[in-house]
Amino acid sequence: MAISKRDFMRLTAGAGALAVLGQLGRTAGVAQVAPGYRAMVGVFLFGGSDNWNMIVPTDGRYAGYAAGRGATLALPQASLVGLPGVPYGLHPALAPLGAAWSEGALSAVLNTGSLYAPLTKALYQSRTDLRPTNLMSHADEQSHWQGMRMRDVNRDGFMGRINDREAALPTPDLISLGGSTLALIGKSSSPLILPSNGTIVRNGYNAASNDAAVVARQAALTTFADAGGTGTPTQLSATTINTSYSQAATANGILTGASTVDQYFKNGAGVALTSDVSRQLLRVARLIEARGTLGHTRQVFFTSQGGYDNHSNEVDAGNTTTGTHASLLTDLADALAGFYAAMKALGLQDQVTAFTMSDFGRTFKVNSQRGTDHAWGNNHLVLGGAVKNRTVHGTYPDTTLGGPDDVDGAALGRWIPTTASEEYLGAIAQWYGVLPADMPYVFPNWTTWSTGGRGPLPLFG
Amino acid sequence: MASEHVLRTARTASAAALLVLVAACGGGGGGGSSSAPTPVPVPVPIVTYSGADAARLADQGSFGATKTLIDAMVAGGSAGAWIDAQFAAPSSNYSDLIAKSVAKTYCDALSGSARNVCDRDYRSSFGVALEFYAHAVANPDQLRQRVAFALSQLLVASDFEVHSTAGLASFNQIFLDNAFGNYRDILKAVTLNGYMGDYLDLANSSRTAPNENYARELMQLFAMGVNQLNADGTDKVDATGATIATFTADDVRGVARALTGWTCARLGTAPISDNNAIDYAKPMISNAALYDTTAKTFLGTTVAAGAAQTASLDAVIDAVFNNASTAPYVSKFLIQQLVTSNPSAAYVGRISAVFANNGSGVRGDLKAVVRAILTDADARGDAKTGASDGKVKEPVLFSLAIARLAGFRSDGYAFYTRDQAMGQQPFRAPSVFNFYPPDYPLPQGGGLVSPPTKLLTVSTVIARHNLAYDWLVNGDAASRSEYTPLASLTGATGTQPDWSAWEAFGTDTTALIDRINLLMLNNTMSAPQRAALVTAINAVTNADPTVQARKRAQVALYIVASSPQFQVDR
Repeated sequence: MAISKRDFMRLTAGAGALAVLGQLGRTAGVAQVAPGYRAMVGVFLFGGSDNWNMIVPTDGRYAGYAAGRGATLALPQASLVGLPGVPYGLHPALAPLGAAWSEGALSAVLNTGSLYAPLTKALYQSRTDLRPTNLMSHADEQSHWQGMRMRDVNRDGFMGRINDREAALPTPDLISLGGSTLALIGKSSSPLILPSNGTIVRNGYNAASNDAAVVARQAALTTFADAGGTGTPTQLSATTINTSYSQAATANGILTGASTVDQYFKNGAGVALTSDVSRQLLRVARLIEARGTLGHTRQVFFTSQGGYDNHSNEVDAGNTTTGTHASLLTDLADALAGFYAAMKALGLQDQVTAFTMSDFGRTFKVNSQRGTDHAWGNNHLVLGGAVKNRTVHGTYPDTTLGGPDDVDGAALGRWIPTTASEEYLGAIAQWYGVLPADMPYVFPNWTTWSTGGRGPLPLFG
Repeated sequence: MASEHVLRTARTASAAALLVLVAACGGGGGGGSSSAPTPVPVPVPIVTYSGADAARLADQGSFGATKTLIDAMVAGGSAGAWIDAQFAAPSSNYSDLIAKSVAKTYCDALSGSARNVCDRDYRSSFGVALEFYAHAVANPDQLRQRVAFALSQLLVASDFEVHSTAGLASFNQIFLDNAFGNYRDILKAVTLNGYMGDYLDLANSSRTAPNENYARELMQLFAMGVNQLNADGTDKVDATGATIATFTADDVRGVARALTGWTCARLGTAPISDNNAIDYAKPMISNAALYDTTAKTFLGTTVAAGAAQTASLDAVIDAVFNNASTAPYVSKFLIQQLVTSNPSAAYVGRISAVFANNGSGVRGDLKAVVRAILTDADARGDAKTGASDGKVKEPVLFSLAIARLAGFRSDGYAFYTRDQAMGQQPFRAPSVFNFYPPDYPLPQGGGLVSPPTKLLTVSTVIARHNLAYDWLVNGDAASRSEYTPLASLTGATGTQPDWSAWEAFGTDTTALIDRINLLMLNNTMSAPQRAALVTAINAVTNADPTVQARKRAQVALYIVASSPQFQVDR
């Protein structure tokens, strides 16, 4: 196991690892890292989920919400899933998560988004050099959320950089069930990217074969696997291809063999879930269940759900509680509720934290096709037993169209985020075990978000 | 616990009424048709033209090398000669599918498997994908199809969201028709296409609340890119070194307003109030009641109040087409699709100049652009050996290259059974951002990009390997159910590999390997690789000399097809 070139971020119980850390001069951080297993599970809602309908104020601010969104889009107050203890309610499609709130295992973060520096509307207007580049562009805002550089090219992502700071393992403990994406790319480390369904078996390959023709064939495969001298793209592709073969052999049994967690992925009516996000989270649960086999004491997962770019038919005509967005949230809530139940069954609910991300929030005002367009600040959910009991974090915007939080020239309701994505995700990364000294590596603009009164949200405790 | 919901107190209010949400930039980017034409460098003709160079041209300008193709290329004497011949080849087309435009409820009366087959054949990408593969395997207009496929990944509409076989076919017919045409015509046809109209919500976008979806992606993805570019494709930067946006939120709004008033055509005489009878296969039509007749400003252009709807449309297309960033943006994309993932700035600059002016004062001439891309010195010659050279074969190119080596005749179904697992179902991209972005980083690549690498994961690597193994080592037609004509598909012909050319090598292992080396590796096979291949080939024995020759070739093809060297073109 090649560990000598890498720094450690997290420590496990091994005395050998401690010794290595001592050699690297990293012992200062050891005491701050909790022992035992922890995992963070990101769910990226691709397309920009309209989470202004995911969580809604239920106090005096509801009237402003209803006025800003209009009858076409506003959820009726009576339809909301109440969150005891706070003046907010969830979209009715998120009802499967109500129990987690009651157990103190669900939190929400309000009006978070990509920020290069703290901004007021006046500052936003006067200082274009303080804005993230190309706001409201899917590709750029996905890169901001995943790469965490708001004004520079992102060539690696925050999960990959966490992985850079961990010990290299035979099977990487940064695992995606949601495909290959920027968040996973490290400067020096590689993730494990697995499918959300199906087997991964290499046809015709049998390392133990005694058949002379097969032996010769496989020897030739090995010779051709060496791409030395063929240039960087070919050589790095060769590495990816070769490691994929060995990783597939390890992962296939875990993904397709017997498991105790599948039974929890059912909806309220007891029907097994079939959505892709549910299949991804089911496999995450299996990989967590198999953490011992994999030799993992920390795991970072990337999962995703697509389809949130609801420029039209976000809600049905005449019924704002149904439509495309409600269907997506139903799949999300069922999958997350099943995942949380599986973690409870494994006794790991306090050691696993799931959280949502998305490109951006959407315009508060509806367009002519019962949809919304690209905006900026957004709300997100955090699920896990470690979160602070029944707490909503951050600041709900003044939803006056064209008001002090609206930077849109036509008053469509594009809110300046008040919590930086670093303050949100940084809190989870620190809980997971990223050392303070490594935070600026993982979050390049960390200095901005950890000084001057800014800092990670108090999500846990 | 106490919650931290803090009701906002008033924040410093700004008096400014109009804001731009994206960094303001120098005039919103507008070049315009009046910009001075850039001098056109004349590509240096390549005189010497080796077989390896021809094999590389096959990687770049076709769906895979075959002996016949390489012979034709070499016989032509230059890359340009083959390219010019390709310009004249009759075009593949989807006319039979376009003719199948039906109402949304066309299949509703059916049930069970009949319903499923109907939905598959009339309301999915199935038929278009099958024809695409069938044409790509065998039709002679290889370069046109290859450029059309590249364009389909630049201007993306997808069955993932809109289900109409005829509509998807009509949309992709635009690229076949205009692969050697003018990019402005493509932009206009795509903008008015009914399938795209539904996909990006331009259809029924109304003056009362214009939908910004199409307006934004037209500028950002289909033409200008998000950052202002120099003519060589590098980012322009401001005084602080930051990139400069090509457009502002006001530009998006202005374009969205200028493009209001369109709705999908309807079948027969159905009125535009009939949302069941949408004809996706025809260009959109005006619904004047939705059109914003007030003045619109975008990208430095103003359309006067009262301008006709078509005048607003043309103003948008002109502004986007003539934007200074469009030439390098589109040129670099096409180079990445056809030749290499990391073209030099000089290469992009040369092609961009041809896009700006084909030498006869015409902007956007794709025939000139494609010819310049493929005859450029950075494209031609024997295998490139620079550290940054290389382009990962995306799944569609991988499966088709193998199929053409195996002499396939196919109705496309065998490919369809394989492509999802490899991460690329033609015309079913997960979003308008295609299967991969053009700037996807090559992990640990020191700043290099490798767009198709986004599709290289544990599962897709296995799926690619298994396709090579199954179609080659286990590639005899009788043994593969995926080659059998699909019973539910009218006119299905299945897939027939033709191994006769490979069987003809008999026991001549050297000649067999030479052929594989040329067609698959552009003659870059190393001595150890050749030795290992000889051993693997000679270990295959069979009493029937024809069977033995076939099995030997199949094993050799599989070993090379699954190698990194074949999976990355250089």
